[in-house]
Amino acid sequence: MTQDRDRIDRFLPLKPFVLDVLLELAEGKKHGWALIRDLQQRDGGDRILPTNFYRTLRALRDDGLIEEAKGDAKEDASERRQYFNLTTRGATVARAEVRRLEALVVDPRARKLLKARYP
Amino acid sequence: MKASRSLYRWLLRLCPADLRREFGDEMAAIFLQSLHRARGIGKARVWARALSDVIRHGLGARQDSWQKFRKTSAYVESELVGWWMDTLRYDLRHAIRAMSRQPATSLIIVVTLALAIGANTAVFSAVHTVLIRPLPYPQPESLVMLWEKREAEGVMKNAVSPADYLDWARTATSFTGMAAMTEVTADLTGEGDPEKVTLAAVSAPYFEVFGTGPLHGRTFEPGDYTLTNRAVILGHALWRQRFGGDPGVVGRSVMLNGSPIKVVGVLPANAAFPNTEAQLFLPLVIQANPDPPSRTSHQFSMYARLKPDVTFAQARTEMDRIGKDLEAQYPQLSRGHGAHVTSLPEEITGPVERTLVVLMAAVAFILLIACINVTNLLLAKAAGRRREMALRAAIGAARARLMRQMLVECAVLAMAGGIAGLLLAVWSVSVLASQLPAVARPDQAVIFSLPVLAFTLAACLITGLLAGALPAWHLVREDPAEPLKEGGRSPVSLKRSLRFGLIVIEVALTSLLLVGAGLTLRSFRAVLAQPAGIETDNRLTFRISLPGARYQNAPAAARFFNELESRLAAEPMIQSAGGTMLPPLTGLDGRRGVAIEDREVGPDDGPTRAHPRVITSNYLQAIGSRVREGRGFNPGDTETSPTVAIVNETMAKRYWPGASPIGRRVRFTDQEIWREVVGVIGDVKHWGLDAPVNPELYVPATQFPAWAFTWVLLTNGDPLMLVPIAQRHVREIDANLPLFQVRTMEEVAARSVERRRWMMTLLAVFAVLALVLAAAGIYGVMSHLVSLRTPEIGVRLALGAKPGSVMRQILGEGALQAGIGLIIGLSGSLALMRGLRTILFGIEPTDPLTLMSVGGSLMLVALLAVTVPALRAMRVDPVSALRSQ
Repeated sequence: MTQDRDRIDRFLPLKPFVLDVLLELAEGKKHGWALIRDLQQRDGGDRILPTNFYRTLRALRDDGLIEEAKGDAKEDASERRQYFNLTTRGATVARAEVRRLEALVVDPRARKLLKARYP
Repeated sequence: MKASRSLYRWLLRLCPADLRREFGDEMAAIFLQSLHRARGIGKARVWARALSDVIRHGLGARQDSWQKFRKTSAYVESELVGWWMDTLRYDLRHAIRAMSRQPATSLIIVVTLALAIGANTAVFSAVHTVLIRPLPYPQPESLVMLWEKREAEGVMKNAVSPADYLDWARTATSFTGMAAMTEVTADLTGEGDPEKVTLAAVSAPYFEVFGTGPLHGRTFEPGDYTLTNRAVILGHALWRQRFGGDPGVVGRSVMLNGSPIKVVGVLPANAAFPNTEAQLFLPLVIQANPDPPSRTSHQFSMYARLKPDVTFAQARTEMDRIGKDLEAQYPQLSRGHGAHVTSLPEEITGPVERTLVVLMAAVAFILLIACINVTNLLLAKAAGRRREMALRAAIGAARARLMRQMLVECAVLAMAGGIAGLLLAVWSVSVLASQLPAVARPDQAVIFSLPVLAFTLAACLITGLLAGALPAWHLVREDPAEPLKEGGRSPVSLKRSLRFGLIVIEVALTSLLLVGAGLTLRSFRAVLAQPAGIETDNRLTFRISLPGARYQNAPAAARFFNELESRLAAEPMIQSAGGTMLPPLTGLDGRRGVAIEDREVGPDDGPTRAHPRVITSNYLQAIGSRVREGRGFNPGDTETSPTVAIVNETMAKRYWPGASPIGRRVRFTDQEIWREVVGVIGDVKHWGLDAPVNPELYVPATQFPAWAFTWVLLTNGDPLMLVPIAQRHVREIDANLPLFQVRTMEEVAARSVERRRWMMTLLAVFAVLALVLAAAGIYGVMSHLVSLRTPEIGVRLALGAKPGSVMRQILGEGALQAGIGLIIGLSGSLALMRGLRTILFGIEPTDPLTLMSVGGSLMLVALLAVTVPALRAMRVDPVSALRSQ
């Protein structure tokens, strides 16, 4: 158990961008294109750097946080795209990161700060 | 869009292959989408971001695989590559800001580096073109040249006779092919103006030896090597220029010397051959010739390719043996003759190698001087930043980070200098290329190439790091407490001894360059001061060669030249006109054995030889040669009058020592006719002003068959005005004869010293550059030292020191540095300049006048550079100097 926790800890803190990817995939399987499109909509700009994005996808897959999924059968074979799914482990890591962020935000000092900013 | 796509795909090579394979297409699509959306300058921003993305994350992805088992991973916050890149970007930005804060210093540094790097790149381009780049042939290292050698006479590289060529080619086993080439000239007529062209007559495996195939048609076949079935191959340049690049020319005929010869092939544009610029190639016919091939007429350049398993030494041994066998077989004709093998690449680059190495050393010195200057300037800058650095170290900046930041600043300066230098080099390479003296290298256009670019970049970075390492190390090593403790007071000095040493080195290097330039300058003057034995002003030269097909016998040729000479002599603008078969200062030459009546040949005497000079009766007047004894030729020396000859002074001294040759008789060993010596003339430099003079035997054109003459016309105005007149007279006698090699005699003389002039000019430019850089360096350091010492000088002045003595002290310090540098530099030059000996002429590398004038002028420049800061020191106002404390 401790060992497992250690292994989850190894991935924390996540980069915000990586957390975004995991959260997107938590909604269901998506392919790279769709992921970028959705991330850009959330972000409100085209700040997605292709090399960074695919490098991250590859690393997440290699670490077992996401896995490849089968595409839709109706899709044209020539345009077959790589779909990705969140793994249980990925979900655990994302949850741990969200908890970590939550712990930061529920800190009374953080609340005070928020109040001061939005009276 | 397509170009952007391929460029981006190319960039993606920075990523690991598996990532590229799996996601490359999608990455490119995403990139193109954002590029498509961007407008104007935004496109540049997209590119910049993509570049940084690929560099940072592409390289990062390569790390991911071996970092898998470490704690850090691609998507966890603390990332090594990212941190490194981020701080590097910060350092870069900081460096650019720092540069613009001190524009003057930055500009001086950039200009200094630009000059040094520009000079280096230009010279390196030449070195690369001539020495490093392989010759344009497959396996050039296995190409060799073959020569006849006469060791007893000290002649190792003589042209080869047809008979020797045939024997060597038949018996030698070390070569895959052995080919002979000889140049002839011919008139190319039909389609356009008649043109005098140089032809290379080549024997069978010539194109195979060089590995050159045809662009159109074919190269020669065995059937072409007959006298009846002549074929010709066109060079690419001639084909483009005269035949408009029409492939259909193959199979047609061209008119050479008035007879049609079939074109069988065209060579590709990159085909180039050593020692000839011929644009037409004919088969060299020896076997089919009805006469037995000659063993005494040496006319062939020979090229061969070693078999893959044969070494150069083995080939040399075999050719030595073959030479000895032939000597035994033909004891009369081949006595003392052997066969010599040399490497073709060495033959080609050898003559200019030393020149280029010297130039390379000169520009390397300049780079060093520039480095020292930049180091000094950076040291001065660093002195002003001691407190800043100490403060940053005190509040926790890592020394490595501080050091890196300093180095990045230097590298940015160096890169700016490098870019400026590259622009300078583009210009200077084009100047250099137009000035590079003709070397044997067939493809010698100086070009920029990738290695040159790499060299510049390396030079930049090394300079930046060298110049930066010293001050950076100096600053970082320091205990941060010291400068902070000193408060506002300026530091005493940054290691005076260090800067002292740098100035000394700079002066020493500069004096080396100045000595080198001074020596080449003085030897150039010594060469020019050599008497050529002829006069060059107001003289036009041109060559006419009669085609054997239309002038089949000697009297026909002699009639043509007689007619021309009398027509030219009658022309009022021409004061004198004469022709010679082998014009001086050009290196056109021949050599024959001569027999001298009643001369006893001792066992130690070399063979009796002379260089024949066939001249018309007015030639000696036209060229301004002086008759020392007896008479020159005159129109009375005709075919039917007694045969006569003139010798030069060298020949008179060598073969009739202590006696007058007038009235004695000589003959060429291959002729039966004895000729009576009627005159002695002054020596004429034939190979160039700096070459020794050989025995020369002049014979009148009427008594020696010759088909080609170089004419010399003397006028009292602009010699080029004579060109149309000469053309008209020649055309009136024979409408199909072109004039060629039309030059003034002054041009001919200038060409003979071209390489020397080139070397001298470049070294002089580099020496001046070094002098300017050294002066700037000395000035910079001394004025910085003075400004550091202003408070001290103020105190001394306040205590009653005389301004004059303060100035004397500063001047004395400068003189001491320059003096030590000079002593080191001049004694170094005594050792180093020995390498120049083969290039020098008429002076020793230890020429005292050169050394003294270099010492004097460098000292003067150093003192001038120190004077300004010394004057400033003298005018220091004690009150304000003390108040600033």
